[in-house]
Amino acid sequence: MTVLAGIGFTAPWVLMGLLTLPILWLILRAVPPAPIRRLFPAVTLLLGLRDDESVSDRTPWWLLLLRMLVAAAIIIGLAGPVLNPSRDQAGSGPLLLVLDASWAGATRWSTTLDQIDVQLTEAGRAGRTVAILRLTEPEAPVFQAAEAWRGRLPGLTPTPWQPTRAQVDMALSAMEQVDGGFDTHWFSDRLTYEGHEAILSALRARGDVTVYQAPSPAVAILPATYQDGVIQLSAQRAEPGPADRITILAQGRDPAGAMRVLQSAEMEFASGETQAQVELSLPSELRARITRFEIQGERSAGAVTLTDDSLRRREVALIAGSLNREGLELLSPLHYLTQVLTPTADFVDGGLLEVLPANPDVIVLADVAKLAGFEQTALVEWVEQGGLLLRFAGPRMAASDLGRDTEDTLLPVRLRSGGRSVGGAMSWGEAKGLSPFPENSPFYGLQVPEDVTVTTQVMAQPDPNLADRVIASLSDGTPLVTRKALGLGQVVLFHVTADAEWSSLPLSGLFVEMLDRLAVSSAAKSRQESQLQGTTWEPIQVMDGFGVLSDAGNLPGVDGVELVTSQIGPDLRPGLYESGKQKLARNVLTDETVLSPAVWPSDVPIKGQEVSTETPIGGILLSLALLLLTIDVIASLALSGRLGLVRAAAVALGAILLVPEVQAQTPESTDFALSATQELVLAHVLTGDQQVDDIAAAGMRGLAQTLFFRTSVEPAEPIGVDLERDELAFFPLLYWPISPDQPQPSAEAYAKLNAYLRSGGMILFDTRDADVARFGAASPNGRKLQQIAAPLNIPSLEPVPRDHVLTRAFYLLQDFPGRYAGTEVWVEAAPMDAEQIEGMPFRNLNDNVTPVVIGGNDWGAAWAIDRNGQALLPVGRGYAGERQRELANRFGVNLVMHVLTGNYKSDQVHVPALLDRLGQ
Amino acid sequence: MNAALTLRERSEAEASRLPPLLARAEQLAGTVLLGDHGRRRSGLGDDFWQYRPAQIGDSRRMIDHRRSARGDQQFVREREWQIAQSVMLWVDQGASMRFASDKNLSTKADRARLLGLATAILLVRGGERVGLTGTTLPPRRGNAQIIRLAEAWSEDAESDYAPPEHRAMIPHARAVFISDFLGPLDEVELALTKAADRGVRGLVLQVLDPGEETFPYRGRTIFESVGGSVRHETLKAGDLRERYLERLAKRKDALTRLCRATGWQLGLHHSDDSAQAALLWLYRALDGGTG
Repeated sequence: MTVLAGIGFTAPWVLMGLLTLPILWLILRAVPPAPIRRLFPAVTLLLGLRDDESVSDRTPWWLLLLRMLVAAAIIIGLAGPVLNPSRDQAGSGPLLLVLDASWAGATRWSTTLDQIDVQLTEAGRAGRTVAILRLTEPEAPVFQAAEAWRGRLPGLTPTPWQPTRAQVDMALSAMEQVDGGFDTHWFSDRLTYEGHEAILSALRARGDVTVYQAPSPAVAILPATYQDGVIQLSAQRAEPGPADRITILAQGRDPAGAMRVLQSAEMEFASGETQAQVELSLPSELRARITRFEIQGERSAGAVTLTDDSLRRREVALIAGSLNREGLELLSPLHYLTQVLTPTADFVDGGLLEVLPANPDVIVLADVAKLAGFEQTALVEWVEQGGLLLRFAGPRMAASDLGRDTEDTLLPVRLRSGGRSVGGAMSWGEAKGLSPFPENSPFYGLQVPEDVTVTTQVMAQPDPNLADRVIASLSDGTPLVTRKALGLGQVVLFHVTADAEWSSLPLSGLFVEMLDRLAVSSAAKSRQESQLQGTTWEPIQVMDGFGVLSDAGNLPGVDGVELVTSQIGPDLRPGLYESGKQKLARNVLTDETVLSPAVWPSDVPIKGQEVSTETPIGGILLSLALLLLTIDVIASLALSGRLGLVRAAAVALGAILLVPEVQAQTPESTDFALSATQELVLAHVLTGDQQVDDIAAAGMRGLAQTLFFRTSVEPAEPIGVDLERDELAFFPLLYWPISPDQPQPSAEAYAKLNAYLRSGGMILFDTRDADVARFGAASPNGRKLQQIAAPLNIPSLEPVPRDHVLTRAFYLLQDFPGRYAGTEVWVEAAPMDAEQIEGMPFRNLNDNVTPVVIGGNDWGAAWAIDRNGQALLPVGRGYAGERQRELANRFGVNLVMHVLTGNYKSDQVHVPALLDRLGQ
Repeated sequence: MNAALTLRERSEAEASRLPPLLARAEQLAGTVLLGDHGRRRSGLGDDFWQYRPAQIGDSRRMIDHRRSARGDQQFVREREWQIAQSVMLWVDQGASMRFASDKNLSTKADRARLLGLATAILLVRGGERVGLTGTTLPPRRGNAQIIRLAEAWSEDAESDYAPPEHRAMIPHARAVFISDFLGPLDEVELALTKAADRGVRGLVLQVLDPGEETFPYRGRTIFESVGGSVRHETLKAGDLRERYLERLAKRKDALTRLCRATGWQLGLHHSDDSAQAALLWLYRALDGGTG
């Protein structure tokens, strides 16, 4: 390689090509650009005009310079220039590269690899054989040509552990098998470990040892602990140094499920200190989301600490059968549960339907026998998605017929009627104690105290699957705790009460431990060795040396005690472990770990890890030439006045690139959304009955016309809505005529309808039968309405009260006729506590728009007009009928006004004006 | 039979081109309000001029009974004398007119025909007779003449520069020549002097493209006439600009001198300007002459 001015060339003779540049200059200069043809009628005036110079319009000098640069760049690029050509170094004989390859070097692993690469290059040039020995995964060193190792470099990765004593011994014995002497380059991670000295002396006995080590010591984070409402984080560095500041990132999944940084904290190492602490105070929702803490900028397993259940306070919802006995707190069936759970769990308050959206970890039902149908459905759904439902028996459950004949979904077993009581004044026998827990029980290993007795319990029916579901039983074998899996979650039943009335179990320490094992509560103390005795933990995810989690695959399970106490090594990898429903994280560092720096004898040369790699820059130069050529093309076109062509091509290219994007949108749905939202649009539900739909559409058109003429509401042409296909959110009001043979909407349509009602939409149901059946099942339309409305979230209803805002939203109305007159119209009921204030004409009623208005007056037919604005259908007889149609129109106006303005007219501000108009 | 069929077919195709031109011309003409066009003296016409006492010699039919019934005297209603002029149009159909320097601009031919037809519409509405110079379409009145004019102008000529048609000019009539006048000037001179000899006065409207006025070309270029008959190659178009503009100014000067000598009026219109302004000028210039 020839080196010129610090840049080496692999093919220097190509540079001779630079000599041709001046010739090229002359040639290019002589050739004028090609002419362009133009139509020009005034060419007659040009005839005879001569050009001033015979070789005029020549290529401008800057364009020539550009082309010269292109040529020069190509020539130099082909000559193979190399930046930082390395200078040869001395050395001979076999070379052993020893790597610590532990997590401590993971952050700078790529630098280490680069350096090894340089060493291999040099060794290859000097003809030395090389062997690589990783102390964390020792193998017998095999000396081969340097090039053979080069291909294996990417396969070298750091491990998440330090070399253990056993591995050091293996390395020593492997070295003994090598004959002859060799020089050693040791890539150290700056940490010491057991057997460090032994290896160093063994290596020095065979030849020269040079140590390469990273410029900065390793930093690691200790497992996070949760104490007194704050998360304690501490970090350690191996060597005391000047004051330093690191940032800890708390990562977890956001509600959308994406990993992100939830919180960050700064931590400061004081000058000369190796420890640093920081406290993090987070709301429990956020805390529960954290899955790992890591040091920003570090990429090693030691800079990551995983969290498990110990950080997480479980959210528990306690629901008792009856809680209306105020003041009798000690008698509350939940008292003992509250006592047990307060230190370790957070409570979610509220009724069952309110707490379910909060998605608590556990729901406790104490002596709750009967659940409403939708509550049951919602609860089952929650359990199937991984919830833990914990039920306690009680007098109510014993008295009910729950789970009597068939197994209840939310009970693990069938129950016998009545239950039993033993050991009381009126019964035979003695109170029963507990039998030891069987091996398949989650309680296995817990000590059963003698003094726990059960006097009353509910009894399980002896079904075939009973034996599998019992996880704790009394000394006579009757089940005490049963459990069954339901979807991803489980249902657990304690056959006794949650208070001390039926047994002394809630008074004992065993109760606490049982809840703990069921993962109802969880706390750091459960990590003590005694608690882990006899458990086996299965790895779910393990960390590699860089701190990246990956699937554990088929790694074997680990004994609970070993998991906590053993040193991290090939048999015990850091990561997340699972046993039953509990999770435990094993991190690289434990609370006891102390990082200590590697110490080298003074006569061992230590080198830093600066690498100057050779960089071939030929590719860059050739790319530059291409870029310049592009500029040259554009500049030439601009000179000859053909740039417009390029612009058109660019536009066409852009169009081609953009068109698929435009097509990616679904034009149909966009059109629908546009037509529904550019103006206010009234909508009716398509029933599938052509006649009904036509009249509904005409009715909506008529109502729109009325609104247009009389109010500032100016609706566009109405739209018929297909519940299955169309988005409902754009419409303030849906008119839904009931026809007896319309199809039942699908579940998705109902979900849309319920969302629509929840978000403030209104549906006007019209049975169109003059309400002859008074919403009973006697008329086919009434029956259909009942069927259709059953799955909807409709609040309790009442006939429109005289002071409802519908009676005065725009017009003052007493009744709401359509094509039929005089039947009741139902709206959302006023709250129970609404009271009329003296002197006020109306009460303070609902704040919201009523989600449904139900009636049978066939309003659509009364509103309906044809394209010419003539009424489509007759109403009543003669002039009285026209009056009725007018009132129907007024009702329509009031309805739309109510939807659009809410309870605006309920405001007391309007009282004086209304009183005036009402003549009071 | 076949020949007639093809002729019919071709004329249908041609006719399909007419309505847009007609419609646009009508629309353009509609923007100009017809001013008074009378001779300021009594004579034959439609407009009321004055009542005068009946004199001996007036026939009884001429007595206006509505006015006479107000008193004892008998009156005759006189009308303003309105006379119809013959206006002959010539619009350059040469290939040089079919040029637009920018695709957003209309061609000069399009603009010239539009102006010609709009002028014709206005004149017909004013009661004048309109026709083409030459023998193809002698001046007539009525809306049918408009359609004939439009038909005549929907055909393009092959040659690059069409000389002005100057045959069969009606003495003391009026004429309108619309062209770019980039062709040989002596033809124009011949036409105008011949017209002046016969007492025909009129207007010359030069329609130019903005590209012809500014000559925004650079670099090595071959300029070609639209018909392809004339070409000129230059190595440096930018250098020609000054001299080209000089020649264009000379050409305009020559036209002005010619017009002054023959008593015609000269107007200049650019195809990127509004057509309405040119129409107004045409109309006022014609009106001034007739009034």
